[in-house]
Amino acid sequence: MQYLKIKNRTAFLLVTMVLPWLGACNARLQENAEGPRGAHGALDMDQQKTLLESLLPERDVTQSPPGVDPGIWQQLVIPEDNKMTPERVALGKKLYFETRLSKDGTVACATCHDVSRGFTDQRPVSEGINGALGKRNAPTTMNAFLLQTMFLDGRAPSLEEQAKLPIVNPIEMGHANEGAALAAIADDPEYQRMFSFAYGRAPNYDDLGRAIAAFERTFVFLDAPFDRYLAGSPEAISEEAKRGWNLFNGKGRCMSCHQMNPSIPIGSDNRFHNIGVAARKQNFEQLARRALEALAQEGDMKAVDRLAIETDLSELGRFMVTKDRADIGAFKTMQLRNIALTGPYMHDGSMETLWDVMDHYNKGGEPNPFLDGGIEPLALSEDEIDAVVEFMFTLSDARLAEQNQRALTQQRKLAAAKRPFRDTAMAERRVLPFEERVMGGTR
Amino acid sequence: MRTFKLLLGATLTLVSLMWSPGRAEQSGGDYPAAAKQDPGTDDAAMAQWKRRGQEPDWMAEELAKHKVLIPADNKGLVGKGQGSTYGSVTPEDVKVWQQETYKLAVEGSRIFHSGDRLKSTIAVSCDMCHPDGANTHPETYPKFQAQLGRVALLRDAINWCIENPVRGKKLAPDSPEMRALETYIYAQRTGTPLQYGKR
Amino acid sequence: MKRTIVKSVETRYYEEREALFRGLKNLDRRSFLKLSAAAAAAALARGVEFNLHSFQPVQVAHAATGEAGPVEFTFAYISDSHLYKRQLNDRFVRQLLRAVDDINHLAPQPDFVLYGGDLAQLGQPLELELGAQILKNLKAPVKMMVGEHDWFLDMGEKWRTLFGEPTYSFDHKGVHFVVLHSVMEDDFWSERGMTGMERMQTVAGLDNGIQSRFKVGTEQQVWLKNNLAAYSDDTPLIVFSHSPLYKYYRPWNFWTDDAEEVQALLQRFKQVVVVHGHTHQILTHRIGNIHFHGMLSTAWPWPYAPEGLPALTVQMNRADPFNPNDALGDGSVGVKAGGLVDKLYNLWNRNPIQVTSAYLTSGGKSAVPLTPNLQSY
Repeated sequence: MQYLKIKNRTAFLLVTMVLPWLGACNARLQENAEGPRGAHGALDMDQQKTLLESLLPERDVTQSPPGVDPGIWQQLVIPEDNKMTPERVALGKKLYFETRLSKDGTVACATCHDVSRGFTDQRPVSEGINGALGKRNAPTTMNAFLLQTMFLDGRAPSLEEQAKLPIVNPIEMGHANEGAALAAIADDPEYQRMFSFAYGRAPNYDDLGRAIAAFERTFVFLDAPFDRYLAGSPEAISEEAKRGWNLFNGKGRCMSCHQMNPSIPIGSDNRFHNIGVAARKQNFEQLARRALEALAQEGDMKAVDRLAIETDLSELGRFMVTKDRADIGAFKTMQLRNIALTGPYMHDGSMETLWDVMDHYNKGGEPNPFLDGGIEPLALSEDEIDAVVEFMFTLSDARLAEQNQRALTQQRKLAAAKRPFRDTAMAERRVLPFEERVMGGTR
Repeated sequence: MRTFKLLLGATLTLVSLMWSPGRAEQSGGDYPAAAKQDPGTDDAAMAQWKRRGQEPDWMAEELAKHKVLIPADNKGLVGKGQGSTYGSVTPEDVKVWQQETYKLAVEGSRIFHSGDRLKSTIAVSCDMCHPDGANTHPETYPKFQAQLGRVALLRDAINWCIENPVRGKKLAPDSPEMRALETYIYAQRTGTPLQYGKR
Repeated sequence: MKRTIVKSVETRYYEEREALFRGLKNLDRRSFLKLSAAAAAAALARGVEFNLHSFQPVQVAHAATGEAGPVEFTFAYISDSHLYKRQLNDRFVRQLLRAVDDINHLAPQPDFVLYGGDLAQLGQPLELELGAQILKNLKAPVKMMVGEHDWFLDMGEKWRTLFGEPTYSFDHKGVHFVVLHSVMEDDFWSERGMTGMERMQTVAGLDNGIQSRFKVGTEQQVWLKNNLAAYSDDTPLIVFSHSPLYKYYRPWNFWTDDAEEVQALLQRFKQVVVVHGHTHQILTHRIGNIHFHGMLSTAWPWPYAPEGLPALTVQMNRADPFNPNDALGDGSVGVKAGGLVDKLYNLWNRNPIQVTSAYLTSGGKSAVPLTPNLQSY
């Protein structure tokens, strides 16, 4: 028992002062347990590949994955011109981690859709070449194959189309155009071989998008404790989480938009709603008029992409794509799977914790002329909020349980310190949405 | 003399007790006290009688306010039974069948039109959005309703409405109120072909 | 656990924003334009007008389709709010507040706002006062119209103290406006010994068969005849009425019993428009020279009636029950020379729908509004 004897005071002080510091360091080391961080905070590409291999089991990619309805897989997920083959998946994998697809060689898909960071970047908005910051939060690529449109405003109709846009966006990956992007890899004999095996033709930009999409269709993360509970194990989730699931379907009104069912189990209705996050800081009417002007001059997919990522018109959301008045400030309902790992939340990453998200909904969002009518003050008590949050933390895939637990601890700490979006008077309907705008505020 | 007076008093008391109006009830006869004959006698008892849902005019009152379509009369079945027990349908039978079915539909109409009976906390009743049961389309159930997360039956839709637009308390699926509401809603669409799954 | 009410991040941002806009109001028009996006100014210079209610650029100068010229002035409307006291039902209050917010954000502001009736749900003083208090926050002047839910608790006693006589008229920019009380009912309550609240609750049930059918009544018909006597046949005439002033569906009192008599009084005018409430849905009808337009409700939507729908009406999509604001809203009316109108329905969470005068004058052949994909059952 020699280590218990305190030899002298110095040693004692060293121990009591150093150990806690080491403990804190250890926590940070645990966060970066997988390896060193590279450009833009991303884990090194090779480390990511290794991590991914440990997460995804070997399987026959031509068959529908476990946890996904085979009918849905065949009819909804796989397009006619891009059936799954091992060669296409392998090509897509190489391209997903390929930093040469950015102008300065620092950014790949995996930079903002980092395997170690919830397949997103866990930042409010994403950072591209030259450290340029965009306007929007990066959605996760996990389970993205079950979404009907891509991007927060749904401007890309498929994974194939989505993959092709950031590469040529000036502040994301920065290539001047599709030709320049292709030129960065087309001379590589390895790529020439892989494109030929995958699609039977020379490297071309459309096939590049297809391959990345095929690879992303392997990101199936639908095996959460909640799924085991639904499959018949009552002990898989806590009683509080079960209360949360009841509230999710009932008083919380969550299921109205965050739809979960055996066909699409991810918690999104694939529609676009203005819940008032974007309303906080700007005049929608003026923005919409400017947008119509800008789009009248140049309205193709690439122009919308640039305006959405780079300018304040980003806040208009779906309106930029459809120009429908009902879509002003509307963004896609995000999936709730693995939600613990994909913070910060909302299209601008303005909410750090799931408690903040609940506070926002609880008070009825932010009133604005285009607020979705389904957003109402909910009058949820603190216990009820805790229960719904507890439920949401059961939605992370079991393979990511450790990260989930860390996220829970961290968010709990943050939420205990501050809840900037909480507004109990609004939540309990003592003050009503639109009341302050119309009658003048006294608070 | 004192004993005689005592006995007389006791006898008279006994006799008067035997002849008092309450005696008939206490005798435990087969029929409840004649509440319906003398409306002025006992208001408290009368109120209790009504509250048990035995209001004699409740159906007429409800039907004066709201139209409820009548169920099939089944008259064609009478008297053609071919000698089987099951087939021996009498006019009284078809009347009873129709009356009992109709009663539940009319009860459903009462609940449908009353925020109080639906236990609404915001004074909303079903008929506000569905006058005469319009736009309830019971013939389209069961159908998958993504916002309910499953294939919904009519009673699931009713319960969702009670929880949300009506902000009342959900009904147990086999509760009398739910059964009455379903009956009323089906009644108002009698004759419409079934089309399950229709949006 | 003590919990202090936190002034949220949003509230503070909104206070800053409102302060900015309040400041802007003090600027003259030229400075305001400078502060606005340059694109908006450029758009105005090109003669293209953006209407808040519709993000389609509305050409100010109409092409020569044979249709009447430009909109000369607009008025907005809010209707059928059916308020309870806020502690009982916050949803209806919130929705009226939203409508007021919408109208206040119109640029340019309408000339006035019509309130289309049914401000209260059960005609109670608290409800009417709450409604009056909210409507006071409209920037434009308000013209009130009475509905049956406002009237039958006390036969209009409270309404009169708050808003004056229910029947009146006014002239505005050459148009003669008449506001009617078209929800009179023959006495059905005295013989039944009903209290005021029982009478009110009977009338409040749309499908309650005990109440009488709506009518304008002979007294008002006489008033109307005299009121109109001073105006020549080619005066543009707009009539505000809660009940439709025609016969659509009797069981739901989508009906005015003496509609023909009232229409007869209006027939000599070259162009009459009736704007009515009560039906909580898009409705379009035409009888000779009279164009009828319905107004949206802010409280709840109604399905189309099983029969009697006017042929000219292009239905709106039925309401999505999962969105409490769906099939509801407010709107505005653009009045053109000669009294023709373009009616705009500002539906919440949907694209606005416009029913133009061209649609009505062509008998439904041109400028047809969008057809629905979700029919009423």
